[in-house]
Amino acid sequence: MKRLLDTYGRLLTAGFALFVALWALGLIILPQVSMLERALTAPKRQLDSSIAGTLGRDANLCVSILRAYDNEPITNGTNGGLAIPSISGISSPSASSMTVPSMGGMAVPSIGTQGGISNASKRPYILQCDRADTHQRIVRSTTEVYLDELYNLPILRVDETQSVAKQIEVAQAISELAFALETELKMQEAQAFSYTLDNFGALFAARYIPMLPEAKRIDDAKVIKKIYTRLGLRFENGGEIYERIGAITLFRTLCYAMATTLLALLVCYPVAYKVALATKPERAVWMMLALIIPYAIVELMRVYAWTTIIDNRGLLNSMLDFAGFIDMQAGESIQFKRSALTVFIVIVYTYVLFMVFPILNVMSTLDRNQIDAAKDLGASTFRIQWRIVIPHSKPGIAVGSIATFMLAAGAFSVPRIISRGLQSEWFSQSIYNKFFESENSNVGAAYSFGFTLICFVIVALFMWIMRTRLKDFAKVQS
Amino acid sequence: MRGKDVQLAQASITYPNGFTAVHPTNLTVEAGEFFSILGPSGCGKTTILKAVSGFVDLSQGQILIGGQDQKGVRPDNRETALIFQNLALFPLMDVWENVAFGLEARGVRRAARRDRAMELLDLVALQEQAFKKPLELSGGQRQRVAIARALAVEPAVLLLDEPLSALDLKLRQHMRAELRSIQKRTGVTFIYITHDQGEALTMSDRIAVMNAGRIEQVGSGDQIYSKPQTAFAASFVGEANQFHGQIINIDGDFAQIDTPVGHFTARIGGAVKQGDRAILFVRPETMKIEAGPNQMNGRLVRRDLEGPFMNLYFDVQSTEVAVHKTNTGHDLISDSGTLSFELTDGIILPDGPVAQTGREIVAQ
Repeated sequence: MKRLLDTYGRLLTAGFALFVALWALGLIILPQVSMLERALTAPKRQLDSSIAGTLGRDANLCVSILRAYDNEPITNGTNGGLAIPSISGISSPSASSMTVPSMGGMAVPSIGTQGGISNASKRPYILQCDRADTHQRIVRSTTEVYLDELYNLPILRVDETQSVAKQIEVAQAISELAFALETELKMQEAQAFSYTLDNFGALFAARYIPMLPEAKRIDDAKVIKKIYTRLGLRFENGGEIYERIGAITLFRTLCYAMATTLLALLVCYPVAYKVALATKPERAVWMMLALIIPYAIVELMRVYAWTTIIDNRGLLNSMLDFAGFIDMQAGESIQFKRSALTVFIVIVYTYVLFMVFPILNVMSTLDRNQIDAAKDLGASTFRIQWRIVIPHSKPGIAVGSIATFMLAAGAFSVPRIISRGLQSEWFSQSIYNKFFESENSNVGAAYSFGFTLICFVIVALFMWIMRTRLKDFAKVQS
Repeated sequence: MRGKDVQLAQASITYPNGFTAVHPTNLTVEAGEFFSILGPSGCGKTTILKAVSGFVDLSQGQILIGGQDQKGVRPDNRETALIFQNLALFPLMDVWENVAFGLEARGVRRAARRDRAMELLDLVALQEQAFKKPLELSGGQRQRVAIARALAVEPAVLLLDEPLSALDLKLRQHMRAELRSIQKRTGVTFIYITHDQGEALTMSDRIAVMNAGRIEQVGSGDQIYSKPQTAFAASFVGEANQFHGQIINIDGDFAQIDTPVGHFTARIGGAVKQGDRAILFVRPETMKIEAGPNQMNGRLVRRDLEGPFMNLYFDVQSTEVAVHKTNTGHDLISDSGTLSFELTDGIILPDGPVAQTGREIVAQ
């Protein structure tokens, strides 16, 4: 710090410090803290107060619609506004025998209500009136809980068969009760400890996998399923199979990322060796260019380019056809896009430089005389690599592996584009789906944060095994 | 350990770009000899060493070690061990592992090779440092580790590529004696590359002086210093005053030469005949500041006191002439004086390339 002050003066040093602080805060601390907070917060719509609030609003709207209807009754057809054509009114008797469990919070058109052709309704079906029911299910992970039972509310529901005035009265009562409850619950919730680990629990939630006995037998015989069973990620309960999908995806992604890293290392180590030690500098420049030039193309473009290569009627299959291994005319083709290996290869291709450069940088600092000395002492090529070059390049190998592992573990575009949904998803895709498809960003945040933590632990372990210190990172990149 | 002889027979090395690093050379290094190759940088001495160790292929000719042609024998199969200029110790291995590496490569078991490494470290008096890393040792200790490592594979010929150049003066002088004694104890043939004449003269049984890819002269230190055969050898080894001129008369072992400074008579060192261009070399320590057979008049321009002796530089008709004088403390040296040298102290050699020295550049 003193040296900084002496070299750059007070103003610049303050500028540096500010920049570093902003950088750390804005790029590292704040995003992760906000992600963690979101991960620890229960999803909003699951809060009991918000269920009560929704009930109150539904009842209110029901009242408004009913009032409007009362003033200007329409016997059939659509009513302006939010009313939905009554299904129950025209439903066949057979339909009325079906029972659909009403899911908490989710609107399900009432098919199985008491309506029938004989009992002609006096008003069309109104969704909000149907939902105005104090017997609301509250979503809990395991047990069934209902709002009225939990908070001692009278069971009230808007009954279609009654007079409209009566219905309005009931709906109003529901609305008042619900809003009162919402206010009370909100105060309670505000005071209560609002953080929960349930979102992280979602990672280990077991899902029932429906399977015919035949399919189950085949499934049971698979090695990977046995591993999942051994790890407790798959179990049998009452003859049915359950799998912890989230955890399985996580486990598989980590394994895939490690496999990708290993593959990258196998490919990149000889390349780095060739460029750093086995080629004259003037020719090494061309090899470097060949490595770098593909990076001038947008990553997505490069990944998409692969789809034309691995397609069922793509370049690779055409070549195999040409060589006579398959007959494309007869519809034969190798479905590369279904193979995880293809994803590995494309990831290696996409991030090859992240492995090559750290190794190359460290390796090029090796005194070539050491190689000659070892050779002179009679060492074989393998021994020279094992005893001289690899130990010297270890920091580079460690840094490259960590970089590639993190990139592969977080790879999103490659598995998505290459597999086109024909392979099990990678964990990054699961996170994406939680955020943008199931719109459960709290669980998504928990997934994401948990994933980050696990990757951190793996990296720390790896560094410990490789005896890499943090300062090696600085050394490698300079 | 028993040393073997090394022979170069018409060996030459030409690089693919057409540069000839070593012209066809014949050279015999006797078994158990401490042989130095002395020459300025870029003269091809390291290339010869690389060729003997097998890292560089000959373009023509043969290299024989103990009478065996080495063509096609890779470095790891030759009976040579090379000590690199920067030593090239393995920094990540312990000292003893460094020494034992050659044995490791030969598949010797760990316990056995450790014992052997300890013996060798004992030989170079480094047993206590066996479990340190090379970088924890001093320069001289590292030097000895490199020697022990090379000796571990029991080579017949040890090749040393200016191994002392990175050491400071005191240590260098100490290591000269050390190297010499190790060579005596082991009996291995040492081929020692250096550009430092002091090293070559103190340690070697024989020296080859090399210039521009050719060996100029081979002989003992005394022969090289006192009886140089070429202008290069005379000017590169030791200091010498040079007088360029023409032979005007030959009389037995002596010749008279006409130089811009005057006519001098001196011993003939190489094949010259009357009328040839030639160079007269006179060592500064044989110059006298008094009247004598070969004399010249000069003006003192600089006096460098070295302590036990002093260097005096005279201007003799625009030619700088150096005189080394023992410092007796009584000499009064006037600004101008008469210089002379004995007939037997001067040597006349055929005209040829001379070594570039700092002094010459100043004189020009």
